[in-house]
Amino acid sequence: MAVSSSPQDEYLERVKAEIRAEAERARVRDPLPRHDPPPRATQARRPAFDAGIERERLDYAIGELTGPHYRAFLDQAFRAVLKRPPDEAGSELQIRLLAAGASKAEVLGNLRWSPEGRRVGTRVRGLLPRYALAKLVRVPLLGYFVEWGLAFAGLPLLLRHQRAADTSSAARFGALDEAQANAQRMLDELRAAHAALDAEHDRRSDALRADIDRMLLRLDALEEQARGLEERARALEARAIAGAHEAIELRHYVHAANHWVTSLQRSLDELEETAASGRERADALAASIDVDADEATARDARHASWSAVLATRLPAGAHMLDLDSGDGSWLAALAARGIAASGVEANAAMVARAQQQGLAIAVGDPLAVLLRCADGDLDGLSLSATTLAREQTDIAALLVEARRVLKPGGHLLLRCEHDPHRLVIANAALDAAQHSRALLVAAGFVAPKSLPANRAFALLAQRPAA
Amino acid sequence: MRIGVLVPGLAAHDAVSNDTLGMTAALRRLGHEVAVFAPHARGVDEPILAPAAVGDWLRSPQDVLLYHYCVGWDFPLALFQRTRARRILRYHNITPPAFFADWSEGYVSACAEGRGQLDAYAAMNCELYLGCSPYNLEDFSVRGVDPARCALLPPFHQVEQLRGLQADAQRLPAGSPLLLMVGRLAPNKAHFALVDALAALKLQQPRAHLLSLGKLDPNLSRYGDALEARIQERGVAAETTLLQDANGAELRAAYERADALLMLSEHEGFCVPLIEAMALGTPVIARASSALPWTLGNAGLLWESTDPHLIASAVLRLRTDRELRETLRERGRARYAERFAPSVLERDLHAVLQRFDA
Repeated sequence: MAVSSSPQDEYLERVKAEIRAEAERARVRDPLPRHDPPPRATQARRPAFDAGIERERLDYAIGELTGPHYRAFLDQAFRAVLKRPPDEAGSELQIRLLAAGASKAEVLGNLRWSPEGRRVGTRVRGLLPRYALAKLVRVPLLGYFVEWGLAFAGLPLLLRHQRAADTSSAARFGALDEAQANAQRMLDELRAAHAALDAEHDRRSDALRADIDRMLLRLDALEEQARGLEERARALEARAIAGAHEAIELRHYVHAANHWVTSLQRSLDELEETAASGRERADALAASIDVDADEATARDARHASWSAVLATRLPAGAHMLDLDSGDGSWLAALAARGIAASGVEANAAMVARAQQQGLAIAVGDPLAVLLRCADGDLDGLSLSATTLAREQTDIAALLVEARRVLKPGGHLLLRCEHDPHRLVIANAALDAAQHSRALLVAAGFVAPKSLPANRAFALLAQRPAA
Repeated sequence: MRIGVLVPGLAAHDAVSNDTLGMTAALRRLGHEVAVFAPHARGVDEPILAPAAVGDWLRSPQDVLLYHYCVGWDFPLALFQRTRARRILRYHNITPPAFFADWSEGYVSACAEGRGQLDAYAAMNCELYLGCSPYNLEDFSVRGVDPARCALLPPFHQVEQLRGLQADAQRLPAGSPLLLMVGRLAPNKAHFALVDALAALKLQQPRAHLLSLGKLDPNLSRYGDALEARIQERGVAAETTLLQDANGAELRAAYERADALLMLSEHEGFCVPLIEAMALGTPVIARASSALPWTLGNAGLLWESTDPHLIASAVLRLRTDRELRETLRERGRARYAERFAPSVLERDLHAVLQRFDA
């Protein structure tokens, strides 16, 4: 049958030609290994499906084929008469006939004289009359009487068959009784074996139960341990949670403290700025204060008195240092006595005013200047009680420093007077000066001498000569 | 019209049974009274009557006795000889016994018996010889049957039901390219040629795989053994899957996944898998034998030879040539819609039966 042609077939033919060419190339490139043709079945390998067929045998007696019953009968009949196993359709048809009361002779005849059976040509001796009779009884009306006649004529034979069947049944029952007895014996043996197995089973069950009990106890102990571990785990977990909470709280504290420190630092900075501003304002205010006339007179008088004493004690050309010089009135008194003296004052406004008077005075920290002086450098040193009254000043150490910078035999004058330029309480300064006598001695000064004056006094002491 | 349909047996997933039941339903839709007679039936919904009752069921010479002839069975032969009803012989073809020589004497005998009845049926001058394919009708034309009494009607099928199933690929192999064969394991299906083609293809495509969906009759166990030996000998055991219990969902998935349906059978009366492949868009490579060329038309690659290199090259070409693939799919769908769709078959059946109205 040719495929209908169409314009597209040319396309397919072209493709197929290309495929053929590629196949030839592949055959050369990748030749398949040579193989033998597929194996053919041999007689020995034939499966059970075709087994039991005696192809050469074409002669049977009907008694050979009617022994088996039902499907076994059909299987044998097909194999003997048609020389093949039964096919499903044919087998089902003959089964229906048997179930409908057909005789085996009729079934055998159906097979033998079917077109296939005729072609095979198997001879079944004694089949033809039986088959003919079977077919005859199927003829309407006539068949009915024939079947009656056959049954009547066959009664003696049927009776013989009945008796033979009774004998056969008795024999079979006997055999069955014997088989039942054997089966009962086997059953008893099996029961005994079963009882033994039961006992063994019970023994093993008991052992197993004991093992299970031991395992259960062990399991209880393990469960107890597990519970303990679980409780410990819960406690640890609670502690961990509490720790975590504490850590969170601590972090909050740290953050708060950090915030507080930052705020404090900011406040301190503000305070320092305020303090610096206050100091500047205080310095300016102090420098602007005018000493009243009485005070000035009294001050000049005592400065003249004290400078006169010093002038008698200091050698010619002596050099003297004054700390906390204030407005320079003391330096002026020393200069008036011909004593070369220089001063140090922290208040820049005061220093500026004193410098305008031509006095040798500089701005600085009096204590720092003292510490920088070389050993035995000065003939004289004057200190204001204000210096001693500074907060955190170690008076004993200060006096030791004073002794160090004086030449042997040099003089120290400690002035204790009310200084209106400073925010220093005079009484406190006086108290400090009064106690300073003992301190002077302790620091290694000798011959401390008071130089009293109006509303003030001075202490004059000398570093021992070498 | 009263139509008695006689068939040797009915079973699910069987081509003759599908044709019988599909045609019965179509006849009823056309207004006819139809009863089905069969010695046995399994897994079908149709009420079945005993074959012996068909003679009484057909009452008038105007009634029709339609017999699906696919095996040797004496009962219909005798019935056809004595019935007064009009006779339609629906011929599905019977595999020539030579294919089973050395594999099963039972099959040889049964097939010989079946084909042996062709002469008798041809001589009966039945009112209608209804072939599934032109190839089937040749069996009667060569026996002198009047062509006017012959008609062509492709078999009714379950392709639409298959198309509606949800594909299930769980048990399918993952190899690629995947070659598909659908049909029982029988000598006329040329499984040895499939295995040889796979061996040739494997030289170029190491992941190539052959999937065969179809049962092996225990009576053909020797053929199954020989096929197994062939697979081992060709070294393609790992690349071959013989699935004997596939269901519809797996068949659907196989058509979807396959690179090609390989049908190298030497004898087919129609070959339903071809139209399944055409309807589902699976390209077909087939042997130009028996009814295959007519069923496939120009919707596939037909070869006179089963040369392994030729088949392997065709598979490779299909895999790499998108235009060819799409052309074959398009032609397959068109051929199915024009020639084998259920509505077309019903229309053809109606046309065939009209000759009885004249």
